[in-house]
Amino acid sequence: MIEVGRVCIKLAGRDAKLYCVITEVLDKTYVMIDGQTRRRKCNMAHLEPLSKTLNIKAKASHEDVKVAFKEMNVEIVDSVKKEKKSEKPKQKRKVPAVKKEKKEKAKPVKKEKVAKKVKAKITKKAPKKE
Amino acid sequence: MVSGKHKSSRFKKIYVRTPGAKTVVHYRQRKVEQPKCAKCKCTLKGIPSLTSVQFKNLAKSKKKNERPYGGNLCSKCSRATIKEYARGLEQ
Repeated sequence: MIEVGRVCIKLAGRDAKLYCVITEVLDKTYVMIDGQTRRRKCNMAHLEPLSKTLNIKAKASHEDVKVAFKEMNVEIVDSVKKEKKSEKPKQKRKVPAVKKEKKEKAKPVKKEKVAKKVKAKITKKAPKKE
Repeated sequence: MVSGKHKSSRFKKIYVRTPGAKTVVHYRQRKVEQPKCAKCKCTLKGIPSLTSVQFKNLAKSKKKNERPYGGNLCSKCSRATIKEYARGLEQ
């Protein structure tokens, strides 16, 4: 029953209740399918084989499968891929005008306070002359 | 007197005995039932149990499963019905 060209109906998943055909037998449990469903690997437990078969070669392309299904009066509508939208123009960052160099102000030189304080202490401590 | 909102059938009356030995009526909201399979009555997986208002605001993909009969039949029953459909085609 499991052979290349066997028409099946898929039971599980989002492709359920759709026609497919076996394009390749991978091992005891898995096969490759194509048709109204997506072209993909599938477990045989998720397929209900029908009595009909299609004349296709092993690893047949999607277009060959399409033609074969047309003879069976089953239409295959391919999903149209969305065209990529043209990229939006990127906003360029506004480059700030060259900053005016700040004039470096010459820092006022600190006068020697310490010397002043010392002088003041000396004057305070100095005994008064009578 | 009962306030207007408590007259709705979504509230369940519960009689509570207070410490002062009085019986008082409390109104508790009923739980929303989990959606169930139309054939075997088992709970549907992947569908939240929400009130109709909350359910309305959900995304379409969250209200039901992606497969045919999703949101109505469980996976086992949907497979069985599709099998019947496939076998019916051949007769």
